[in-house]
Amino acid sequence: MPSDTVGNGALVPLTGDLPTVYPLHHGLASPICSLSISWSRGNTLHLSLFSATAAKVVEVKLTSEDPEIPDVHWRRIAYGSVAPFALLQSRRSSISALLKTPSPYHSDWWENVLQYSKEIGSLLGGSKLPPSPIIDDSKTIVKRDEEPTSLKAAWELIEIFYVDKQSQSWLPERLVDWLADYDSLLTSTHETIHGKLVDFQKELVNIQVIEDDPRYWELLSSALSVGWLDIVVKMLRLHGSYQLDQLSNREESELGVVLQTHHLVFQEREKLPPPRDMEHHIVLKEGVDPINSWCQESVTAERGATVERSTAVSSVSFSLVNGRDCIARIAALAGVLENGLVETVATLISKMPRFHPESVGKLGECYKSKPDFIKSWEKWRSQITKLDCSPFWIQCDNQQTVEGLRNLLQIMLGNTDSLCMATCYWIELYISHFLYIRPFTMGIESMCSLAQKCIQLKPQSNTHRLEGLMVGILEENTEVVLAECSREFGPWLVAHAIELLTAGSEQAEVLLHEQRYNLGGISIVELHRLVYAQILSSHALTWQIAPIYLTSCVKQGMGLLENLLYRQSIQHNNVLLKNIEICRLYELDHISSNIMKHGHKGAGVFWLQQAQDSSCLDRIAQQLFDSVGKSISDESFKQWEGMIELLGSESKPAGGLEFLHKYRDFKKSLQKVSVGKSTEIARQAVGSLMLVLLTLL
Amino acid sequence: MAATAMHKFPQDQYVDAVRWLPQLSPLDRFAVLALFDFDSDASSIQIHSLTPNPFSLQPQFSWSSPSRISSLKTSLFLQKPLIVASTAAGSLHLLFADSSDASFDSEVSLPEGTLHSVPASSVDLMDGGVECVTVGEDGKINLVGVGESNLSCRRLFDSGGLVSYTAARWASSVEFATGGYGFSLQWWDQRKPGGPVSNFKGNWDKKLSSGIVHSIDIHPSRKHTCLAGGSLGTVFAWDLRWQQQPIILSGAGAGTGSGNTMIQSICDSEVWEVQYDRCIKSNTSSTRILPSMICSEDGILAVIEQGEEPVELLAEACAINSFDIDRHNPSDVICSLEWEAVAILTRQ
Repeated sequence: MPSDTVGNGALVPLTGDLPTVYPLHHGLASPICSLSISWSRGNTLHLSLFSATAAKVVEVKLTSEDPEIPDVHWRRIAYGSVAPFALLQSRRSSISALLKTPSPYHSDWWENVLQYSKEIGSLLGGSKLPPSPIIDDSKTIVKRDEEPTSLKAAWELIEIFYVDKQSQSWLPERLVDWLADYDSLLTSTHETIHGKLVDFQKELVNIQVIEDDPRYWELLSSALSVGWLDIVVKMLRLHGSYQLDQLSNREESELGVVLQTHHLVFQEREKLPPPRDMEHHIVLKEGVDPINSWCQESVTAERGATVERSTAVSSVSFSLVNGRDCIARIAALAGVLENGLVETVATLISKMPRFHPESVGKLGECYKSKPDFIKSWEKWRSQITKLDCSPFWIQCDNQQTVEGLRNLLQIMLGNTDSLCMATCYWIELYISHFLYIRPFTMGIESMCSLAQKCIQLKPQSNTHRLEGLMVGILEENTEVVLAECSREFGPWLVAHAIELLTAGSEQAEVLLHEQRYNLGGISIVELHRLVYAQILSSHALTWQIAPIYLTSCVKQGMGLLENLLYRQSIQHNNVLLKNIEICRLYELDHISSNIMKHGHKGAGVFWLQQAQDSSCLDRIAQQLFDSVGKSISDESFKQWEGMIELLGSESKPAGGLEFLHKYRDFKKSLQKVSVGKSTEIARQAVGSLMLVLLTLL
Repeated sequence: MAATAMHKFPQDQYVDAVRWLPQLSPLDRFAVLALFDFDSDASSIQIHSLTPNPFSLQPQFSWSSPSRISSLKTSLFLQKPLIVASTAAGSLHLLFADSSDASFDSEVSLPEGTLHSVPASSVDLMDGGVECVTVGEDGKINLVGVGESNLSCRRLFDSGGLVSYTAARWASSVEFATGGYGFSLQWWDQRKPGGPVSNFKGNWDKKLSSGIVHSIDIHPSRKHTCLAGGSLGTVFAWDLRWQQQPIILSGAGAGTGSGNTMIQSICDSEVWEVQYDRCIKSNTSSTRILPSMICSEDGILAVIEQGEEPVELLAEACAINSFDIDRHNPSDVICSLEWEAVAILTRQ
């Protein structure tokens, strides 16, 4: 490329960075004297290199590999998406034929699209249930059975917003689930709650007293803010107050000090007290038995209003056996109170009302109807408020636990500052708003303005590829969504997701199917399908899929399909037959007859017959006729026989070949004559000869 | 028959051919896959072991082939599994596997150029593995004697490219059949060299153009009948005793030939492979053709029987390029799919 491109005959002026140079390994000795470049199938270039002594043809592929999904997986996705795509197209055309309108949109079209969407979604890495371990490891907080991909995250996001009409009312809850599944993806570019949890889990085995670690409380509030109730409850149960031995470990130091200072007091008695100066005698009344019991003290801890767990302390009474026991039991009582508080909060969390169609083995109580949900939500909130105001917080002496738990309550009460503190990324903050601040929301307009608010609160220096898509969807800008899909995820997603975008909206349908002058008279839908087909055509294994997409393109599809078929290199018979099969399916007879003209002598004749090229066959027959005429020995006639057999099917006699066919019959009879000497056979031979002569005339 | 369990195993490479390895012990089951990687241009033969619980197919041993495999057969040779493969470059490779763990023991080969001059040749191995026949589009027919360390090769016939052969199958220790263009079949006898003993040209239908024979099978109990599958969904049987009248079992041309009325056609594209189905015990009279299984370009795997409705075992969105019925468990079928996968069917 010359350096002075601008205005000097370049079709597109070069702007920006210098072009990248890639070395080409062709193995030819320099100098190369000539080079020709042409397009091969799809995005591959055909380079023909000529040096002084040799020449070579090199194919150059012009595609880049996705960092997340290897090529092999892309091919698997491409294979799998053919059937759902074809099914949806055929349904679309049958419905529009039935309704006699170009637009197939009626009330339940989206159900077809949803089915399509689910099938495609399952290709992108199914959410298979992991084999559950026999022994549940209490210290495993975050489980991950399969590495999620951004592609699947993007697909699901589009499905949530555009297709699934049933879930429109619980859109926020679906977003909560979505974030729970894909928060780990965002970790690659940002600090996220998932990332923090994973880090914490690594250190978990080394932490002795978990509730003394500030990160424990920090992560509890983070996980709660985005609604990962299972993780929160599991983590709360790791609290030291659940394990009595661990509790005594914690209390050991304080207790030790007391015991040492007053060791005399806590000495255990081994004999009766020594005699004193004065002995007090208690004179018993007559008829009364001596009392023989220790003094009793009873301590009653009032139950928290919502504590339902039976293990929580409701009333504790114990007898003071001796001093050491007494102290230990007081400590235990404090521990039980602490544990009671932890458990109360855990119970409240696990009872959080969720507006969700089905509970899938997760914590939280699901409500299908909005009034029920609102009712129980308000009840739940009042219980939290009540607990927040209760006097137990003062009685509990572990300050860290109290602060941590009260912060959790603040999150559940929807304290904006707490939520903002607890979350890392704007999407996380956004989700926490749905959960605790606006549980009864909302239309998509307010969702968009909320998102902008969250972005302002959590500004980020870099962006994740899902972020742009999310903003585009919230802004309800179909063109932006398409552009983001295409830029970040490539043509496969655009070609298939377009079906989702038009599922519910007549407006999007018009926008995407409208023929555009600037695209050369084709619609946006067609453009993206063509682009995807081009990608498919670039690979030897996927090009066979391309016709399915090309034929769904009304304007340019067939032209490109013909082009594609012409460009196929044919080295193997089987590949050739597969090509012809495609031609047969799409009624492209003229192409198949051109493809067929290749091969060996015998094979060539066969293919010419298939191609019904009678002029070529006539010429061949003429040559054959000439060579047979020269002289054929019996030996070589054996070779010719098969060929003549092939050529001279009675159904399609080809020119002079008819003669050869009869000549063969004559030859055969002649042989029989020499062997058998029967008059009947001799007569046949003469008959054959007559026929030969007749043909010659 | 209707209840079948199907398992798919993606391979991430194109599967050129697939065979069961003759069973060594009832517990170990192995399949042989001929794979081709389009990105690196590398081809290989792999032995995969099949485990029932959980059902999985795991690669065990791999042998890299110098060129793409065009035809693959397996047999037993002196109690050892033997794999024979012909390549697109025209070379022939014999791989002897270990009789205990199916690992590759030794390999003997004939380099390219010795047997065939053009791509795509077909090979068949005699039962017991003593001799191979290879045929090619160049019209050459070679017989290769198998020994553990060396191979002996002789050319039986050379048509000089005037007739091309695309399929071959042994009928007995001296006879075999070949197939080629124009639905043609040839019958050969080693005792009568110099040309085919018998020739059949399929031109039973005047309206339709003819096609290619892709695969032949001959049942050991009926050596006079040659079963062939080819273009346009055609499956026909050629009985040497009624030479010019084929019995059409399926296909576009079905129904027009005399005595072949009302024949169902299960597919109308290329039939890539045909084998007698050893699973079905046919109790019908000996004049009927035994039931057979076919796979096709339009993704059909089916059992067809003369005079019966065809039974579809599998209908895929992509082509099924080859299949093999397990000799020891005829209810198990392995097949290779165009979209880089292998499927295993278990019939109940």
